[in-house]
Parts: sequence; C-alpha cells; structure tokens
Amino acid sequence: MPKIVGIDLGTTNSLVAIVEDGTPRVIPGTDGSRLVPSVIYFDETGTVLVGNGAKEKMVEKSKNTIFSIKRFMGKGIEDVRADLPLLPFEVSPQSEHIIRLKIFGRDYTPPELSAFILRELKRNAEASLGEEIKNAVITVPAYFNDAQRQATKDAGRIAGLDVLRIVNEPTAASLAYGLDKRNQGTIAVYDFGGGTFDISILKLKDGIFEVLSTSGDTHLGGDDIDEEMIRLVLNEIRGQTPDSRERELGVSTRIPAIRKAVNAAKEDLSAAESVEIIIDSLQYKRTMTRTEFNNLIDPIIERTLKPCRQALQDAGLQPGAIDEVVMVGGSTRIPLVLQKVEELFGRIPHTELNPDEVVALGAAVQADILAGGQRDMLLLDVTPLSVGIETMGGVLSKILPRNSTIPASATEMFTTFIDGQTNVKIHVLQGERELVKDCRSLAQFDLKDIPPMTAGMARIEVKFLIDADGILSVSAQEQRTGKYQSIEVKPTYGLTDEQVEHMILESFEYAESDIEARLVIEARIEAETVLNATVKGLSDDQYASLPDDEKTAITAAAKTLRAVMKTEDHHAIRGAIETLGNATMHLAELIMNTAISKALKDKRVTEIENE
Amino acid sequence: MDYFEVFALPRILGIDLSSLEKTFHELSRRYHPDYFSTAPAAEKTKAVRMTALLNDAYRTLRHPVRRVEYLLSLHGFKSDGSKVPQSLLMEVFEINEQLEEVKAGRASAEQTGSLRAQIKEKRERFDAELRQASLAWDELVKANASEPIRKEHLGKLAEILSESSYIRNLESELEGKGKGH
Repeated sequence: MPKIVGIDLGTTNSLVAIVEDGTPRVIPGTDGSRLVPSVIYFDETGTVLVGNGAKEKMVEKSKNTIFSIKRFMGKGIEDVRADLPLLPFEVSPQSEHIIRLKIFGRDYTPPELSAFILRELKRNAEASLGEEIKNAVITVPAYFNDAQRQATKDAGRIAGLDVLRIVNEPTAASLAYGLDKRNQGTIAVYDFGGGTFDISILKLKDGIFEVLSTSGDTHLGGDDIDEEMIRLVLNEIRGQTPDSRERELGVSTRIPAIRKAVNAAKEDLSAAESVEIIIDSLQYKRTMTRTEFNNLIDPIIERTLKPCRQALQDAGLQPGAIDEVVMVGGSTRIPLVLQKVEELFGRIPHTELNPDEVVALGAAVQADILAGGQRDMLLLDVTPLSVGIETMGGVLSKILPRNSTIPASATEMFTTFIDGQTNVKIHVLQGERELVKDCRSLAQFDLKDIPPMTAGMARIEVKFLIDADGILSVSAQEQRTGKYQSIEVKPTYGLTDEQVEHMILESFEYAESDIEARLVIEARIEAETVLNATVKGLSDDQYASLPDDEKTAITAAAKTLRAVMKTEDHHAIRGAIETLGNATMHLAELIMNTAISKALKDKRVTEIENE
Repeated sequence: MDYFEVFALPRILGIDLSSLEKTFHELSRRYHPDYFSTAPAAEKTKAVRMTALLNDAYRTLRHPVRRVEYLLSLHGFKSDGSKVPQSLLMEVFEINEQLEEVKAGRASAEQTGSLRAQIKEKRERFDAELRQASLAWDELVKANASEPIRKEHLGKLAEILSESSYIRNLESELEGKGKGH
C-alpha cells in the first residue's frame, strides 16, 4: 500500500504530515523547519527557491518573490483588483478569468505557482520517508467555491500528486483534536488563518463527524490585519513627509519592508503589551500598544463573527448548544480573537494543539482513513454554497441548498424551445443571492447532439453531482431516446483539462530544465575558477620554461573553455575543463614544486627571525 | 430506488428522526467513498453515487416539509409556492401591502411586530394542519386504503403544503432571509 500524505496548503505556511503507527506527525523539511513558508522566489537564471530561502528574498527581491498565492486561486483579475496596490507582483494582461503573474517574461497561474510549494512538500516527504510519494490529501478552506477547489486539485496534478481527497480545513482540524474520544457532542471550529476565515459546526456521534453547517470568508485573514497596519504606517509617513521627500525615500516601493516590520509587530503583540515598529530604510519609528492594535483590528475580527452567527442559525443552534470550541490558524494567537470567540460561544476555546499544525495533522488522519488505516472515524462534510442554474430573466433557481451533506446530487429536466433544436446551454452558478449577476458563475454546460424533435418534446434529464471533494460534475440523458448527451464544459474561472495537461507536461520540462540549469551554473563556476588559476599560471616564471607545444596546448584549451562556457551544455563545459586541466598538469606541478621550496625557504627566514 | 426505499421505509410521513439518523450513519459506513479510495474506478463511482443518493434521501426525509413535498412529487403532484392559495385570497392583499411598507422602511416597529405575529400565527396554523394531515396519511397507508382515497388525501396535503410554503415565503421575505449574507 503506497503511503498517502496529508498536506495543508496554506496562505502563509504549508505543511506535510503523515500517520505512522496510528499517530499523525508533521514531516520537517531538510532544513529542519516544520513549516514551509508559502513563498516562491524566482531568479533570472531560472532557479526557483521555495520556503524559508524564498522568504528571505521578500524584501530585497519583492517583484519576483511570490507570496499568499492562495488568495488568487480560482480568481479573475476583477476579484483581486483591490489588493493589487499593496502587492509587488506584475500581473499579466491575460488575467480576466485566471490571474496570471508575469515573472521574467513568463506567465504563471496560481495552480502552477502552488505546485512549486506542493513539489517542495513532496520532496520533503520523500526525503524523510525514503520512498516516492504519489498520493495526497490536500486541505482547503471550507468556504472555498468550486473553482478554488478545482484550482487546488489542478495544483496537485501539476506537482505530480494524485489528490485523493480535498478536505475542508476546519473539519480536518476536528479530526486531529481527537474529539472522537468524547462520544458525542457539538463542536464549533473557528479557523482564522493567513488569508481565509472559516467556521464549521459539527455534530459528533459514534465516531461520525457530521458537519451541520459551515460559513466563512475566503478573503479574510492575517493578511488583512497586515494590510491595515501597512495603511496606517503609509498614512503616517505621508502625513509627516513632504511629497518630494516621500519620492526620495520611495515609500511605495518599500511596502515589502513595511509588510515585514508590521508583521513582526503583529506577532509580538500577541505576547507583549507594546512593541516598537522600526523601518530603517524609511527612517520610521513608532510604538504600538496592544490597545491601539486591538482598536485597529477590531473591525476585522468583527467580520469573523457574522459568519459564526450565520453557521449557528443554519445549524438551528444557539451559541450555548456548542459543547466545544476549537481554535485553528495562526491568527487565533491574537488575544482579542480568543476573547471575542469566548464571548460569542460562552466557553473557553481549545488551544492545546499548535494552531499552525493542527490542519496538516488532520489531513494526515484523513489520509490514513483513505488508506484503510482506520475505519472508526468518518467525516461527513457539506457544500458551503448553494448550487443553482440560470433561469429566464437572470434569476437563480437553486437545485442544491448550501450545507447539503456531500456527495450530493440533484436532477433537473430540460427541454428545447425551437423545432429541431439540438443544443441546450446550462449556466451553473454558486451563491445565495437571487439574481444570477450576484452569484459566482461556475461553468457553462453545453448539451450537444440532442435528437431533433418538435419544440418541447425532448426531455433531457440533467444530473448534477457534487462529489466528496465538493466539486461539481454534470451528466445528461435524453429520456425519449435514452441517449447520453455529450457535454462540453467551459469553466468560468479555471483551467480546462487540456490546459492542466499542458502544464503537467511543462512542469516535467521545468523540473528537468531546473536540474540542467543548476548543472550549467555549477560547471560555469568551476570553469571560471580553472581559468583564473590558468591566467595566474601564465604569469608564473615556470611558464617560460615550458616546451612550446605545451604552451600552445594550454592557450588552445583555455580558448576552447572560454567559448564553451557560454553555451548551455554542461557536458561540453566539463569536457573543456578536463582538457585544460590535462594541458596544465605539467605547469601546475612545476609551480607547485617551486611554491613548496619557496614556502620552505620563507619558513626558514621567519624561523630565523623568531629566534 | 426512491428515498423511502433507501431507508427501507414505507411511504409514510411520521418518521422517527433518531432511528432515521442511526440508519443514515450505518449506511454511510457501508457506502461512503472514503472506504473505496483504493478500489477500482467503477466501484469508486458507485460509492459516490450511492452515498449521494443516501445523503439526498436523508436531507429530504428528515425535514417535515421537504418530506411531504417529496411524497407528493412521487405521486405526480407539483408544488408551487408562488401561487396564491384560494384560502388566503382574501388576506393576501392586506399582508402584501403591509410587507411592502416594512420593506420600504416606512413601517413602525409596532406595525412590523404585528405583521410578524400575524404571519407567524398563520404559519403555525398551517404547520399544525400539515402535521394532522401527515398523520392521517399514515393511517390510510396502514389501513391499506384504496387508490382513489389516497389520491384524494394527497390532493389535500398538496393544498396545505402550498398554503404553508406561501406563508413561509412571506415570512422569509419579512426576515430578509435568503437574500444573501
């Protein structure tokens, strides 16, 4: 049975975990770090760094150091326009339905960028477990829509992983908390991470974790707190600094430095009562107290409480009916968050497990369930958003209500409006509003090759199925002929299957050219060293004593190496290095011998002096 | 397989929720795709379809109103919550007028409260009627009543259902529910 890992692909940090001997554990990276920062750094030679190494480049090389890519998953440019002024990335003009970031002239979609992080986690797991890892469970925010889930699955495929399940983060966390030891009860999981917020209410009975309701905001997290603080700092600098001075300091280009400083201040304020925010490059310094911080972030924390109340209402429960509250995500370390959640539910939340690790541990538990490691626990999750179809007048007709246990299905009948019509278009959306324009377009399904009949005679039964990953598929059958309809799917925000296939191929090339590029760079560095040594040798007295044919051989070999090292062929570079090495062997020996005898002489002199 | 068959139940409306949940959990443990992730693709697909059917059935049968709607749809009745039921024809103008006032923000708290109470009173009346009629249906099933008698009773159920869903729509409009959040 091949191993299945659990992956938490987070906005800020990502982790990989596995269950061994019935216990989940986080697999650290080769640098010993348990968290892999979700940061990807590209350099001009095509080398890519992921994690801590990339995080170090965030200030200095902000334009080509990508972070918080999760916020862009399944999104078009209009969805993220408001965030862009504070982000250093270059967005490609081809970003209407899928954001594409331009890095050294090449466009990358969020699934491709996330795949770099997944590949790093895969490598870490492989290094630690000593075997190839092909299967994974990946977590997503419970409130992720169809496109965001699909984008996560695509990222897995591009990274060479078979994503056996997409699991909701709060539900995964509840598995990790071992709450099954308590025989039954009602649990609220409050998951406030770097970029997203989720609340899930679960009913636990006889090992079955049944999600009653879920709500959230996929654009609400610690990043929003950072951005609020960045705005405060920017306003203060702009308030104190005349325009020309501001230009001189290049304030708007220093946002990455401000981000780093305020992020550190935010983290420190979870323990300290007051901190200093110092940004040397902007000659900025101020003190921030916990109270000031709380006032600043209060509106953001309040925004998490509305989905909590909604989830309670959808579950038909009063806050007092919740037996346990579980805190997940790095942002729950903020004392004000803890205080507000405690107030809402009237009980002290669980914070025993590391809020950064609990989701990955839960993903590993779910992976273990899939691997057949244990059959006691079973997770029954729900779809966070209602699914509907567009009807006359741009009105949404709901076919599956939100909070339906998944897998779930619904059947609708369609017919033709014109004699001989052979095509029917179906527009599927997700959302709670009544008008199509206020909901999230999911996909256009085009039912083709309907047998030509009189208008209204065709009876096409369309079945909508949401699988256990929360992803929708559609099948259709004409009832009179019993014929299955072919369906062409055009995802509104997302990649087609062909595009994903293409990216998988490209990523193979990428992985190979990655290694190739590194080999070329290494060969060039060595060639440089060898050439420098040779040049030095030519100016040595011993060179003159060489026979002419040796001198010619050396200069020819050096010339060849100089030419070859400009190519991308590391084999040729290595070959030329070797040729030059052979040609200079005699000279090197001569130089070495004189150096030794000279060293001995020098030694004698110093020894004499010392005496 | 219809939803009643999934739970091996006769087509009755009085359903014990705790035993329904117990069966739901047992069947989930038997069919859930999590237990088939390493099985061949055909088995996996079957597990997803079976579990979807089970979940659809549970979602429908555990809800007293959806349960009636489903029973009626099995017998060819179409429910329509937008048609004004005969019995409400007289009051509906007045209620709608008041509702418009509330929605436009012209109603006092007192007027809103009185409208809310009025709608709630009606909804509770229909809920009670629906419960009564549901119990009566179960009696007919138990007594093995003839097809015409059953049909007649289903017609009555359909009428109560359309009244109650009409009122329910008014109620959610008043509370601003279903308008997104």
